[in-house]
Amino acid sequence: MMLNYRSLDWKLIGAALALSLIGVFLIMSATHFSTSAFERDYYMRQSLWLVVALFVCAVIVHVPLRLLDLLAYFVYAVGLVLLTLVLVVGSARMGASRWFDLGPVSLSPSDVAKIGLLVGLARFFAYTRLPSNSKRRLTLSAVLAVVPAALILKQPDLGTALVFFVILFALWFWSGLSPWYLVLIVSPIASLVAASHWLSWAIYLIGLLAFLVMLKPGMVFGVVAFVFNLGFGMITPFIWNRMADYQRSRIITFLDPGHDPRGAGYQIIQSKIAIGSGGLWGKGFLSGSQSRLDFLPERHTDFIFSVLGEEFGLLGCLAVVLLFGYLFFRCFKIATRCRSRFAMYVVAGATSIILFQFVINIGMTLGIMPVTGLPLPFLSYGGTALVLFWTLIGLIVSADYNWQEY
Amino acid sequence: MTDRQLSISDRYRLALGAVAVIIFIMIVGLIKLQIFQHEDMSALSESNRLRILPIVPRRGIMYDREGRQIVNNRPSYTLSIVPAEEVPGKTVANLAPVIGLDSGQIRKNLRKTMITRYQPAPIMRDVPFEDIAILEERSGDFPGISYQMDRVRQYVAPPGSEAFSGYVGELSSDEIDKVDPELYRLGSLIGKKGLEKQYDQVLRGKEGTAYLEVFASGQVLGPYAGKPKIEAVAGADSNLSVDLDLQQLATQVLDSFCCGAIIAIDPRNGEVLALTSYPGFDANAFSGVVSESLWTSVTADPAHPLLNRDLNGLYPPGSTFKLITVGAGLEERAIDLSSTFRPCYGGFQFGTRFFRCWDKNGHGTLTATHAIEASCDVFMYQLGLRLGIDVLGRYMEQCGFGKPTGIDLPGEAAGLVPNTAYYDSRYGKNRWTKALALNNAIGQGEILVTPLQLAQFYCGLANHGIVYRPHLVRAMRQPNGQIQTINPEVSFKLPFSESTLAALKEGLRLVVEGDRGTARRLKNNLYSIGGKTGTAQNPHGDNHAWFVGMAPLENPEIVCCAIVENAGHGSEVAAPVVGQIIKLYMEKKLGLNKVAQVGAEPVHP
Repeated sequence: MMLNYRSLDWKLIGAALALSLIGVFLIMSATHFSTSAFERDYYMRQSLWLVVALFVCAVIVHVPLRLLDLLAYFVYAVGLVLLTLVLVVGSARMGASRWFDLGPVSLSPSDVAKIGLLVGLARFFAYTRLPSNSKRRLTLSAVLAVVPAALILKQPDLGTALVFFVILFALWFWSGLSPWYLVLIVSPIASLVAASHWLSWAIYLIGLLAFLVMLKPGMVFGVVAFVFNLGFGMITPFIWNRMADYQRSRIITFLDPGHDPRGAGYQIIQSKIAIGSGGLWGKGFLSGSQSRLDFLPERHTDFIFSVLGEEFGLLGCLAVVLLFGYLFFRCFKIATRCRSRFAMYVVAGATSIILFQFVINIGMTLGIMPVTGLPLPFLSYGGTALVLFWTLIGLIVSADYNWQEY
Repeated sequence: MTDRQLSISDRYRLALGAVAVIIFIMIVGLIKLQIFQHEDMSALSESNRLRILPIVPRRGIMYDREGRQIVNNRPSYTLSIVPAEEVPGKTVANLAPVIGLDSGQIRKNLRKTMITRYQPAPIMRDVPFEDIAILEERSGDFPGISYQMDRVRQYVAPPGSEAFSGYVGELSSDEIDKVDPELYRLGSLIGKKGLEKQYDQVLRGKEGTAYLEVFASGQVLGPYAGKPKIEAVAGADSNLSVDLDLQQLATQVLDSFCCGAIIAIDPRNGEVLALTSYPGFDANAFSGVVSESLWTSVTADPAHPLLNRDLNGLYPPGSTFKLITVGAGLEERAIDLSSTFRPCYGGFQFGTRFFRCWDKNGHGTLTATHAIEASCDVFMYQLGLRLGIDVLGRYMEQCGFGKPTGIDLPGEAAGLVPNTAYYDSRYGKNRWTKALALNNAIGQGEILVTPLQLAQFYCGLANHGIVYRPHLVRAMRQPNGQIQTINPEVSFKLPFSESTLAALKEGLRLVVEGDRGTARRLKNNLYSIGGKTGTAQNPHGDNHAWFVGMAPLENPEIVCCAIVENAGHGSEVAAPVVGQIIKLYMEKKLGLNKVAQVGAEPVHP
């Protein structure tokens, strides 16, 4: 298919490319002083992966979005199959089986499953005639998200599983569900937090009742929501006991980073030191002592933003954060103008994935979000993640190019 | 609130608004960290990568008066564990049999010296080279260990020298509060006894500091830019007045006895020529970390090897005291040189008690100098009665007893000078008899002196009544070559006139040269010698033997005091001991006189 290349959204592509190139530079800085030659070459590998990702993006731009619309449930099914397979034959890394080893390349099925859920849900919402707040619509779409999320949780990977719910929420929102319902749907999690003390929980439940009375969501929905709130609050200790050690320590660390400064809280503390010591201007490229002397853990992946903060200071951080902001702005604009509902939902869902990882990752490096192990889109080292994000960019650019199609 | 759907543009605005809020929160977080907490975070970042390592200076070497080494430093290996790199259940378990410490002890040492988990914590000093070779060979079995070149204090002088050199040890946690935290840390070597303790701050030098940049793993990258290394300044070397030849002989002659002490002083300036306390201890075994078993074996030894008898051994002076009694008598004009008392028939009846003379045959009628010669107790009893307890006490104090001499060694005992006030508080007013004066007059009873005090008193007798403060360090040489000489200083003057001093000296001469002298065996043709024997009554066992001698008598250069515990009479045991030391001194002086110059070029090993 021939395209009119001048009509592509080059501003969006430019923003994503700028972020990717900044990522390559930061990876270079993060691994420059490594004793392992393999690690020192990470930026080269990331560059190669960027080429691959751009190629994948270009291919997707050339594939008509309608084709994906037709194949949406098939892609979703492929994702589920891969997720099931990885549980059986996947290779374990760092206590979690998340990857297929395919020689030099390792394939993360969760990325395929994310695309699968994205297009699957987009198709579901695009063609369903059920009213936006009908119970069946909510339930069916939830089942679509819960199945892959449950498989991911089995690996176990809480952070990635959350991405699936984020896609679901984003599409609920963009398909017209009232934000108040979204609040109600998330409320059991708030209940879980409030249940840490019986008094706060009691106050919370009274507030919830008042909210239900005002919202009038219908008898069944209201009762279900309230029961869920009650249940979540009561099973807090139960869940806590069932959690893996690293999950528990991540939560404790998030609540109190100083709890074990040489253990789990170490990463957060060192990340904050790195960013804070960068100051306004930063210490300069390749001059970050936190990064160079190994104080910053996982600095080429999860904590790449901390390297940025240390070496390029507040100005560098602002540049990257605002670049992301601009990217989201373009994406929302595209979602809004798409005439095809499927395209709109794909764009909205894709944006929500990028937005969620952006918030969680940077929040983590600043110490205002728990450590989840989610990389920063476009910047963190990791080939499959880079391909995934450029796939999303490809989908968005494609949707934008075809915005007039129904 | 209704079920009304938001329009697409409402959703767009809401989504954009949410993103704006998120980015705003992020920017606030960034500004907080990078602007408001920037200085704190920078400081934390610096302290992260900065490792401050102390550079231990070379401790000052001690030389004897002829330039021979007494204490020096030997290169050694110190074994450390980096706690963060240690593999639990492997490192310590494998290490224990190699270095011969049990795991519990290694853990204990580690806890004691650990500063951070990333800094090597010393667990054993002076590890033999063979052990280091094993550790090197099988390095894979001992993850997290490291060894550093270090120095170990080495005591090279003949045994007995530890009496003045003392030893060094690691600063323990109960001592840490008593020292300057600027200079000492837990585990620092510090002088624990003797000169090592007295001159610790001079000997230890000034610690330097290395500023290193380190990886998170603790691995050193290199010097820390912007913080230049502060070099250590070596400690000052010291030249002691001790003559190792005399020192060695002093220890040898005591070897055949249970316990005792010898001190030799040059009365012309107070320089200590020899100072030994027997039995002693192995200063090399004590330097560094003292094992539990060594400590118990030494402290449980009934001969108390750690007791420095010269400074802390308290004994009745016995007949050596009679010089004070006679001196006081002459000064107080209670007697003159021709005075006599009732003759000695082997004892003296006082009230209902009969006080015996040491010679039951009696001495007959004696003048003062001959009473010293024969050490007649009956003469002294009667003189003591005439003087009274307080006059005797006053003269004792004026002769330097009852208070430390001020020698440059730590922890010197004061001794005891009894007087009316003392007896009143001890027994109650009027609950003691004047008969105590009789005991005091012959140096028995409750009087307690240290060998050092006695030697100091005799130095005064030898040196026209002028007493120099006894001292060991004659000069200190700073690492820059600057030499600081310690000049002799007059401590006090004996309360005796020239004529009294001459009479007392005559008495000392007669002890050796007189027909009835108690130390006649020391008489020789080479040089004149004077002195006084003594026997300290010991209620716990055999009496202690005293002798204080001086030579050449005309103008004494050496005063030597010896006490031999539980050995009986001074004339039989202590006098020959002192005689040997004085003989060596005089032979060296008459034969080959090789007294070193102050600051003489030291001999390096």
